[in-house]
Formats: sequence, structure tokens, C-alpha cells
Amino acid sequence: MEFGTSGSLNEDGIHVDMDRLKKGEVNLGTSIMAITFKDGVILGADSRTTTGAYIANRVTDKLTRVHDTIWCCRSGSAADTQAVADIVQYQLGLFAMTNGKPPTTQTAASIFQEICYANKDRLSAGLIIAGWDERHGGQVYSIPLGGSLHKQSYAIGGSGSTYIYGFCDANWREGMEEGDAVNFVKEALKEAIKWDGSSGGVIRMVVLTAKGADRHLYLPDTDYAVRHN
Amino acid sequence: MDHRPQAWGRPRDDVYGAYDASYLQNSGPKTVTQSPVVTGTSVIAIKFNEGVVIAADNLASYGSLARFTDVKRLRVFLDSSVVGFGGDVSDMQFLDRHLNELAIDEAYDAAEPTPETPTSPGTLNAANLHKYLQKLMYRRRNDFDPLWNQILVAGLDAASKPFLASVDLRGTAFTSPSLATGFGSALAQPIMRKYAATEEDAARLTREQAVDVVKECMKVLFYRDARSLDKYSIAVVTKAGVELKENEQLERQSWAFAERIKGYGTQTV
Amino acid sequence: MTSIGTGYDLANSIFSPDGRNFQVEYAVKAVENGGTSIGIRCKDGVVLAVEKVVASKLLKHGANKRIATVDRHLGVVYSGMVPDGRHFVDRARDEARAWRDTFKTPIPTADLASRLGGYMQAYTLYQSVRPFGITAIVGGFDSELDTPVDGEVGSGPKCGAGGKGEGKKHGGPFLYMIEPSGLYWGYYGAATGKGRQAAKAELEKLDLSGSGALSLEEAVKEAARIIYVAHDDNKDKEFELEMSWISGADGPTKGKHQEVPKALREEAERLAKKAIEKDLEGDDDEEEKKEGDKMEE
Repeated sequence: MEFGTSGSLNEDGIHVDMDRLKKGEVNLGTSIMAITFKDGVILGADSRTTTGAYIANRVTDKLTRVHDTIWCCRSGSAADTQAVADIVQYQLGLFAMTNGKPPTTQTAASIFQEICYANKDRLSAGLIIAGWDERHGGQVYSIPLGGSLHKQSYAIGGSGSTYIYGFCDANWREGMEEGDAVNFVKEALKEAIKWDGSSGGVIRMVVLTAKGADRHLYLPDTDYAVRHN
Repeated sequence: MDHRPQAWGRPRDDVYGAYDASYLQNSGPKTVTQSPVVTGTSVIAIKFNEGVVIAADNLASYGSLARFTDVKRLRVFLDSSVVGFGGDVSDMQFLDRHLNELAIDEAYDAAEPTPETPTSPGTLNAANLHKYLQKLMYRRRNDFDPLWNQILVAGLDAASKPFLASVDLRGTAFTSPSLATGFGSALAQPIMRKYAATEEDAARLTREQAVDVVKECMKVLFYRDARSLDKYSIAVVTKAGVELKENEQLERQSWAFAERIKGYGTQTV
Repeated sequence: MTSIGTGYDLANSIFSPDGRNFQVEYAVKAVENGGTSIGIRCKDGVVLAVEKVVASKLLKHGANKRIATVDRHLGVVYSGMVPDGRHFVDRARDEARAWRDTFKTPIPTADLASRLGGYMQAYTLYQSVRPFGITAIVGGFDSELDTPVDGEVGSGPKCGAGGKGEGKKHGGPFLYMIEPSGLYWGYYGAATGKGRQAAKAELEKLDLSGSGALSLEEAVKEAARIIYVAHDDNKDKEFELEMSWISGADGPTKGKHQEVPKALREEAERLAKKAIEKDLEGDDDEEEKKEGDKMEE
């Protein structure tokens, strides 16, 4: 794909994340999502990382911990999003120590946004921040390319997300039980993986509640039916 | 990957093409200018005898994708003015926070609350606010780092007369009995001018008339602006303060005539 | 003042052999000469009040405010050297703003107190500076509601966020007092300045933490009365009463730090004067001595 310095959107607004990449840069041409449910939030992602059409990593972990029960989903440039997540993880660790209380999801989202907004012309990062804290319960924030911050009841992102807007809108329910919520995320990501060439591999999930973080893993060779951890 | 010692670890030129260094070195002036990514469409407003009505839909688009459908683009300043934002949402958030801090600065020297102004009365009116925003926007464009917004400011001026003015990403400012940004300037402005071509016309409009005109314009915009939504926010600013409704739904749309449209020319069935 | 002439009081950052920093203690003296300031934390808000001694008849009545707004929900009042207080308020505003810039939320009162305590303490460490000649009372109301991030757009699920900690209360009214040493504690009632002894004795009589705790409007009236009582120690000088209050989002100030409205202040002053007169009549046969500086550390 040709690269330009304009960073402007495609008319369809779809593969915009790829346009922003430099040649040879590793891309999380991705399907990521996070949802709120009755007891907290669930993050989900595929595991494909591509360099053009080549799959650079087929078992990527795009769900990144920035504090005990605040995690993020990364899409866009792998390098950029890892750097940003590392900075936020450091800041939140510092916050917890200096203030003697864990940071809230809002705090994390604010720090993420400040970095994404202040460096908007240098970064290609599409992030979803999801976390649980005692005061606010489960919350989901989305930070798309330009560095704006959007509070949402559920968020989807990455190139694969464009194929599941309809699915998610039709099947989304507020305040789901954990089992139904896990199923919603899994079915949505299955569709995204099916239709998006840049998404694939395993489905990873993290469930964040008062009980802490719980990882899920589902594999394609069993049609994502069995939970492997 | 390149395995030669002098370039170890870098993408190989014969595989990926030479690295395009134009990304790093830019001849010409230094620019940190972006282009908008997540955007809001038109804002429209019209004056009436006692104040101003302003409206904007609740959509933030991502290209042609209607990505965020609950974005409130009308922001209240000091309980006495409303700022309507079109254009980039991240820059809108930056400005909103900036104005929030400005409002806190105002509270440092707030006058004593009185029965007429029970919440702390600010000293900045809509005219002051608009001038401030114009200077801010113009300065940022001179830094080649514009805030990518079209803004309408609605409220009252120092004489407590209705005030309405616009400013854009270049710092260009206008004032008029009715104003609209984006598609609205082509689609809504002609309609609003029918009712308030001059200040005198606007001064004869009642609040109900003004609200009706704005609602009608929002409907036309929804018919003809492909980046618009049928959910919108509307605010009425008067001496009594700001009445803001953020979850309005377009009503009484006209679509049934589609039944009579058959084919595109001679076809009748 | 046994310290005079020993040389250990000549510079900040020098301890005396018995472990005292005399410069800090002198700063406390400066506070003790200032008009009385008090703060009351009651169940639904905070009241700040100050006895503003009228230094000259040529000063405009009601001008030259002594209580400062630091952020929407935060107020500061101080006794001692007014210019030091003004600088302290500037710093408080900077801290509140810096917090907002980083975290996009209002600074919690406790965190502001902590930062200001640290700032005050730094002025006891260096030769090149002197300690602040003020004791400051910081009042704030941290929102009990779920507040959005500044500039937030969008909303979560209409049914509300899931998995919240059940039955836990968050936010509420808070009151801190910061001394020249940098020492600070959280209080239900705080007093400093010339009339602090009498004021503390009065504050201790109030039910501020118990079940029948004072309401905000009662607290305003008590605050006015206490300033009038405390003024007894400063009787030869005229004074103005300045008061501010902060309620929760559902209260009269809607979570903001504001001056107490004129009507309520005047009513409170009228009641205060009446209470004082009654006290004077009663004093003859009762002769109740007000001591008990129990809150002092």
C-alpha cells in the first residue's frame, strides 16, 4: 500500500489504521473489543499481527495490563501502542504508590488520551481502555486515531471491527450475565476473524471484576468452543 | 530483515523498498498540522427576541462510518453561554477542558451570589467568550497547529442582548442573526434567513418560532447531510440561563411520498 | 523566649540542641496574631469563616476578600501574614490545576491537603527561605456522584456500570488544617489565629461527627457565632465577618465553594450578636472559664 504523509481518512473510513503505517512496520490489523456487563468488563481480541500480507505473529497478546484491573486493547502500530501502554503502566503504578489508592479507569483513560492527543501526528494507535474499580464498577473508554476520548457501554476497534458493527448492534444487551457476555464477545470476534483478512488466530479474553482479572483462551481448531485457560 | 552488520534488524530495501525518509524530513515550514479524524457535522443557531436557539446532532463520524452516536457537541459555559462545536472531536475536548479551566479562573473572583444569580455569576459573557476563542483559534493557526473546529457561540452580550457569532479553525469570525457551520451553511442558513434576515426580524421572532425553525433545519440536514444523525441536542439561551436538551429525536419526518416514486423516468409500476 | 541569644533561632534549617526549629515557632507566633479563622465540617458540607480585622477605616467595606476559591469545590482560609496566605493560595490553585491537567478530574481535598502540606514543609528546610507565617484551613466537597472525566463525550450503559462496590460511600465534605511546620490533620472543626482557644472550645461543644450532626445551615450560624465569641480576645478592633460554604451536588451551592449569600450571613450575624449578649448577662453568675485547648498537638 502506498504511504502518504497526509494521514487522511479513506472515504470508507475503514482501513485507515493501515494507511498511517510506515513501510515494513508491524501492524495489528486487528479485531479488538471491550464490553461492560453485570459484574464488570470483558476485553477480547484476536491474535494476528501482520506485516503486509505476512503474519508476523499468529499468537499475539493484544490485551495489555496497565494496572491490576485496568487493561487495554491495542490496535494500529504494535510499536506505538506498546510504547504508550508502557508509559501508562508506569504512570498508574506511580499513582497507586504516591496516592495510596488504586487508580480508576477514568484516570487511566485520561493519561492514555493525553499521550494520544499530544502526539496525534506521530502515533498510529487505536486503543480501547476497559477497567473495573470499586467506585465506578466496570467502564469502557475508546480512544480512536485522533486522540479523542469516548465513554461507551461497549467498544469495538481495529480493521475487523467494521465487519461486526451490525452484529454487535443487533445482539448487544445491557447488564448481561458473565456467561452471556463472554459468548457475545466470542461470537462477535468469530465473525470479525471470518471476514477480515487481517484478523485471525486464537481469541483471547480478559474478564475484570471485583474478583480481579481472569484470562480466557479459545482456539480455532476447536471452533473456539473450548476454554483453554 | 536486513542481516548486514551496518543495517542489522532493519527492513530490507529489496523486500520493502527504500525507507521513505520524507516522513522524517520535511522541507518548508515546520508543521504539526493534522487533519480531522473523528468529526462532528453542522451546528446551527438563530437569534430570537429574548435569546438564541442553538442545535447540533449527536454524531461523531469516523470518515463515513457513523462511529459514535452519543457525542454531545453543545457545551455550556458559566451557566450563561453555549458553545457548539463542529469538526474534530479531540480538539473539541481540548477546548472544552480549556474553557472549563477558564470558568474556574472566573470563580476565583466570583461576586457574591444574589437571589437573581444564585449560582456564582461569571464576568465573561458570550461576546467576551467569542472574542477569546477567536484569538485562541487564530493563534493556533499561526502556529501551523490549528484546532480543527467550526464553532458557534450563543448567549448574551454586555447589554444583555442576544449574541450569536462563529469562529473557525483559521480564526475567522462572523456574527449574524442566524449562523450555521459545515453543511448547515448551505442547507440551513437559507431557511433561517427566511425568518431572520435582519436583526430586526430576529427581534420579532418568539422563542417558539425560533425553536421550530431550528428543528425544521435539523430535519433538512438529516435528509441531505450524509454525515448527520436524527438524534440531536438543542439549547435555548436567555437571560434566565441555559436550557439544554441533549437527547432529542427528529419528529414528523416526511418519507411516505416515496410510495409515488417508481423507476427513474418512464416506468410507472 | 529562652531561645533568644542562643543563635539557634537565627536561621531556618537549624535545629536547637533540644530538637526545635525556632524559625517555625516564630512563624506560629505570626499566626497567633492574625484574625481568627475557623472551618466546620458537618454532615452535608463545609463552612469556612474568618474574622477580618479592619485595619483602617479607609478600606472599602466587603472588599479585600480573605477566603479564596482554589477550584470549584475547594476553598482556603488562613490566619497570619496575608501576603504569605495569598502566595499559598496561588500555589493551591496551581496544584489543583496541575491535577486537572493530568487526570481530567477535580483534585480530591485530601490530595490537595497533602500537596500543600508538602509545600509548607519545604519552607522549613532551607537557609534561603523562611517558613510561611500562616496556618491555612482547607475545605472541600469531593463529589459523591459518579463524575465524568473533564470534556468527556459519550455515555456508558443506561442501566449503570456493573460490579460497583456495594454500599460504599465515596466523596463527601472534608476539612484540613495546615500549620507553618507543614503538619496537617483532617478535622471536623478547625480554628486558628488570635481567638483559636475560645473558638476551639466552642467547636468542641458542637456535634459534628455524631448521629445528630449539624446541618450546613446550622453550621453557618454556629460559625458566625464562634467568630463573634472568639473576637472577645480582640475586642478593641473592629472586624468584618467573611464566610463561605460548600455543599454536595444536591445542596444549596451544588458542590461549589461560594460566599455565603448576604441574607443568610446577616441572619447568622444577628443571631451571633444576640447569643453574645445573652452570654455576657449569664457570665456574671456563671463565670465559666474557657480553657481546654485539647485539640492542639
